[in-house]
Parts: sequence; C-alpha cells; structure tokens
Amino acid sequence: MAQLDHAPHPGLIGAQPAPPPEVVEQTKIYRREGGFPISWLVAPATLWLFLFLVVPLLSIVVFSFWKSTGYGMEPGFTLDAYQNYFEVEGFFDASHRKFLTPSVFVSTLFSTFKFTVVVMFFCLLLGYPIAYFLAMQVKAFKWQLSLFLVCMVPFWTSYLIRAVAWIPMLGRRGLLNTFLLYMDIVDKPVTFLLYSEFGYVMALVQIYVVLIVGPIFFSLAKIDDDILEAARDMGATSFQIFREIIGPLSLPGVAIGLIFIFVMLMGEFATAVVVYGGKTSTTGTVILNFYGVANYPASAVNALMLMLAMMIGVIVILRVVNIRKEL
Amino acid sequence: MTKRKIDTATSAKKVISRRKFLGTAAATTAAAGAITGFPAIVRAADPVRTIGLGVSIINEIQSQAGKDLGFPVRGQALGYGAMFGKMLNQNEQYEVAEGYYNDYDVMVPAKVWQPIDTKRIKRWDQVTNLSKTGKLTADSNPGQGDAPFRHLWIDANGNRVDGPSRYITSVPSWHNADSLGYNPDETGRKIESWAELFSPDFKGRVALLNTPQIGVMDAAMGIEALGLKKFGDKGDMTKPEIDFMVDFLIKKKKEGHFRAFWETFGQSVNLMVSGEVALESMWSPAVTAIKAEGVSCIYAALKEGYRGWHGGLSISAKTSGKALDQAYEYINWWLDGWAGAFVARQGYYMSVTDTVKTSLEPAEWDYWYEGKPAAKELSDPFGTPIVPKGEVRDGGSYWDRFGNIAVWNSLMKENDYLVKRWTEFLQA
Repeated sequence: MAQLDHAPHPGLIGAQPAPPPEVVEQTKIYRREGGFPISWLVAPATLWLFLFLVVPLLSIVVFSFWKSTGYGMEPGFTLDAYQNYFEVEGFFDASHRKFLTPSVFVSTLFSTFKFTVVVMFFCLLLGYPIAYFLAMQVKAFKWQLSLFLVCMVPFWTSYLIRAVAWIPMLGRRGLLNTFLLYMDIVDKPVTFLLYSEFGYVMALVQIYVVLIVGPIFFSLAKIDDDILEAARDMGATSFQIFREIIGPLSLPGVAIGLIFIFVMLMGEFATAVVVYGGKTSTTGTVILNFYGVANYPASAVNALMLMLAMMIGVIVILRVVNIRKEL
Repeated sequence: MTKRKIDTATSAKKVISRRKFLGTAAATTAAAGAITGFPAIVRAADPVRTIGLGVSIINEIQSQAGKDLGFPVRGQALGYGAMFGKMLNQNEQYEVAEGYYNDYDVMVPAKVWQPIDTKRIKRWDQVTNLSKTGKLTADSNPGQGDAPFRHLWIDANGNRVDGPSRYITSVPSWHNADSLGYNPDETGRKIESWAELFSPDFKGRVALLNTPQIGVMDAAMGIEALGLKKFGDKGDMTKPEIDFMVDFLIKKKKEGHFRAFWETFGQSVNLMVSGEVALESMWSPAVTAIKAEGVSCIYAALKEGYRGWHGGLSISAKTSGKALDQAYEYINWWLDGWAGAFVARQGYYMSVTDTVKTSLEPAEWDYWYEGKPAAKELSDPFGTPIVPKGEVRDGGSYWDRFGNIAVWNSLMKENDYLVKRWTEFLQA
C-alpha cells in the first residue's frame, strides 16, 4: 500500500498536509491491536494445512523409507525404494545399451517435465494475447467481465469431459478428418491428430490456457492508463510501451499463471490416458501403477521426486520474476 | 493482551499435537494394513456394507438382497485401484469384499479377511469344480496363473494350504473369459488367433489394456501364438521372459503398431465405436455396448484359449457377531440364483449354475450358458433388448469357454520389475 503515502495525483486542491504524528501512531496501534489477534486469524488455516498438508507430506517421506512387503509395507529404514527408483542395470558398463542412461523413472520425470515446459510455452503464447486483448482492448468493464466469464466456460464442465471431447474432434472419423476428406485434402483419415504428441499437447494447452489468462488479465488490468498515456505523450512507440511498461508490470501475473499450470501439469495423468491413449507414462501414472499393487514405498519415492522437481521449478520461476518486488 | 496471546498459542499447540498423534496413528494403521484383531463394534440395525467393482455392485442387486434378507445391504462400487486400496487398508469400512483372485497374493497374506467356513455356505457342494480343482469338466485345461483353485484353500488361521480344506479365502462367484474383440468390417477376416494382435495388417489399429498385470498376459498370448517364445508360466514370468516380451512390445510400439492403450471399460468401447481401432483386448460386456452403437463387433473365439478372471466374496477380518451372520447370509444369497441370473444377462457366469438355470428363462439359459441361438429377443438385466432372435453367443457354451482357459489374470512375483519395464515400454 505504498501508494497511499505519496499519491501520484494530488488533485486540484494540491498536496495534503502530513497528518500530525499522534494520529499516525494511533493508527498503528489500532491496526495492531484492533479486531482479532493475528494468531486467531491464521490458526484455522495453519491447523488445516498442518493436518492435511504437512502431516501427509511427512508420512510420504517416512513411508518412502519403509519396506514393501508385497501386500503393503512395514516400518523400518531401507533405501530399497530409492534404489529401485534410481538403479539402472549396466549404467557403468560401457558395452551395455543402458550405459549412462537415466533410470526409467528418472526419464519419466524428465519427459513429464518436457511436456510441461512445452505446454507452458504454448499456454503463454496463446494466453498472453487473450489477456492483453481483454484488459487493454476491451474498454467497457461490462464487456471485459462478460468476455472473461466466456473464457471460464470450459470450467463449467468436468475436466474429463473437456479431455474426452477431443475424440469426436480429432479422431479418424472426427470433425476435422471428415472435413479434410470432404474437401479432398487427404484421401484417407490422418491419424497424427489424436493419440499423438500433437493431440496431447493441444489438449493440455486448451485445458490449462484459461488458468494463465486469469492472473495475466488481472495484472494487466491493474496498470494505470495514465502511465501509458504519459508514455505516449513522451513519444514512446507501442513496442517501447510494451517493453518498458506493460511487459514488466504484467510479469507477476505471468509468473503466478506459470506456477499454477506448472504445478498442475507436472501432476498430470488423466489427459495422457484419454487423449494420448496412454502412450506415454507420466510420473502420475507411475505412482498410480505402484499404488495399484500396494507398493506404497515406491509410490512415495516417485511422489517425493515429483515434488522435488516441482519445488525446483517454482523456485526457478520465482528467481526469474521477483513477485514481491514487482507487486 | 499479551497474556491472552500466550494462552491461545499454548492451547493451539496442544490441539495440534494431539491431532497430529491421532492422524499419524490412523495413517500408519491404515497403510500398514496388517494390524488386525480389533473387536468390531456392531449395532443391531447396521447394514451389510459391501465393496467391489461395477461388475457385482449394482443398485438392483444389493437392493434385491436387502429385500430378500430383511436387512439393508449397502454396496459401494469403486474403480479398480480404489477398490484394491480400500480392501487392503480399510477393512473396518466393509463387511463383505467382492474382490478378484488375482489380488489374493496381496490380500491373503495381509490377513485383512477372515477365513470363510464352508460349513456355513449352504450351497458349497453345488459350487462347480472350476474354482475347487480348476477342472470344470474332466478334460478341462486349468490354465496358468492365479486360477481360483490356487488361491482358495486356507486353514482356520488364514494360512495357505494345498488342496481341499474346511476354510476358504472367499466364496467363488462371477467370472468370465476375456478375449480379443474386433470389428469384422475393419479386419476383413475372421480373427482366430492371439497372433493377430501383432499382425502387420492391423498396424496402427490395435489397442491394448493399459494395466501392466493384465496387458502383458494378452501380449504374452500373442507372442506365444506367433511362436516367438514359449513362456514357462505366463502367470508368473521370470525377469528374462519379461525382458523378452517388453523388448518385443517396444519394437512394435516404435513401428507405430498400437493406436492406444485403454484404461477403463468406457475407453475400450469408444476406441472401437469411433473407428480408431480394428482389434483390441476387450471385456465381454463391451461387445454388447459397441453393438448398441450400431458398430459390428465380434468377441473372438481364439484357438490358443482365453484369459480368465474370477471374482469372490470375502468377509473382513474385523467383522463379528450379528454383522458376521449377516455377511454370511448375503454371501449365501449370491448363490441362490437371482444374482447369478442378473449377471448372466450381462454375460458373466456364476460358480453355482443349477440355481442360475432355474432363475433364468429357458431361452436365456440356452443363449447365455449353452451357446445356442436365441429363441427370442433377449434383454439385459435392465430390460433393454440386446440380443436379437437367432443370434449365437461368440465362443460357444460356458463349458467350451471355461474348458479352454490358457491363463488367468495374475499378479506375478516379479511385479515390481514388470511395472518398471512396462513404464519403459510406455515411455518408448
């Protein structure tokens, strides 16, 4: 709330005299002591997070060291699950075909990460212009709001339906293939649209782009028109305005949006099954497979590695954009 | 002010530490799943709670049981993973588990269920030899893998024993033989061997089941049929066998042989209906669902045999007293015919056939069990007509099918290794 101290436009009546020191002091006291004590306010959230986030997370860490019995697990301390995760037969053997290749679980994590980055790139590429249009080009608040709601329409149906809906669109007898055949562009249905990397990335972008539009839209909408007008008055080109003002000021929104979708994409598994036809494995599906045979320590190790990767990713994004400073 | 703050902080800490303890304790018990023997607290009007898949947990079935038995039966249909997890880790949440024999290598040693006394199963003598000895008829092939008779017999303490005993893990119930399903308009020929799963003619038009434990069975059937390798026991492969199979699958995947890998029943139906695949591993009710969409589909009768699976009714180790009596009553009710007839109209078979025969109309019995042409139009259990007059069930009679089970759905000893290699296959 730094703006309050020195409002940019003092207005016609000029700068206000600074309030007497007693008033400032009084305000501070009021702020600190009034209403509920801070500890009360944060207690419910803290308790909630502790019980349903911290405790389960710690149990995952603990379980990852337990011993799998084939029908569950028993307490103990073993690195078996970690060994199974990282071990590669023939890793140090120059003649082996797996010489210096990462283990299958590590490479699954890498490929999960690879798809995540690709999808994030396209989400940003598509999402930013949408948000820009909404915030900058649409002037009436009424229209801004209604168009923003239109963006949210996909969220009115279930996640799975949004993924499944691609099948009648991209399938062999789908809308697109029917059109291509009808127009004589192809003589037999093209199959690369569905159950392919192409279809997978496209479906993920469609599902997640909305999540990045929101935060970018809000940070763009916050930009004061007067600043842009001032820049124009000073003779800045549109590109300069974007590079010097709009771009930097919208960075927090971009970063928040990217963090949102990064975390969700890394945990993704349902779309891989429905739209990619299960032709790849994500760390999510590996966790599920091990859970399905009661090998909980192996699930736990996969979950921890996924979490570690997510944390690193979020830290990197935060390093690139200092949200605190930008806000 | 300061005083109050401190008070709040301490009491909050107290709450947290107590909750934390409870939470951790509960989580540990649930996950370990091996701690049994807590006395169950049962009130008189408690319903029987039963969990399973949508195959046997259907509103109509459990509410009919409630009507016939005079106490409520509350069913919960879950997905496979959720069912497995709940059966194993939350046996205080159900009295009856409607599970599958291929999971018994996990469930039985975990002792989450109590031994069932065959003396309390009224129709035990009527249960066919398919589940008792593996031989439905004298010359049947019992098949490799987790056949029910290999997981049935235990002693009073729940430990495995060979051969007939008074106590069993569960009462054998509904079962079926899975095969390949195909669209004859797309394949252009009759499919008679598992080898067709890898035929280059269907490149890019084939789907496999994406559950490593079951998907590999179908793949192994195909590899054997091609004459590439003979597996010692397809239900319990060795590491080199798994390697051979996965390497072959990876090669086929890189050639673009597979269109997709399906995970749910609905997906398998969609794949065929939308024309994405010509041939896929399939569950038999899918055939009916695909035909209902106007797409032709045949459930292949393959010369190498079928992949069988078998369900059973078990009782939680935490059930006792009146709840235990009710659980036995519910299990006995399953063998009385009504439920068997209900699932028969969906294409599943029951372990006691005599009562199913009397509960079905003769035309229904002839079609579903005897493999004869339908004497009239037949309906599914919900009354929707699905079998036109004159149609014959693919694969012949019950005795033909279950006399020729090549392998049963199984959980291998090398399962961790299998999951690892399967992940690699999907990753390739």
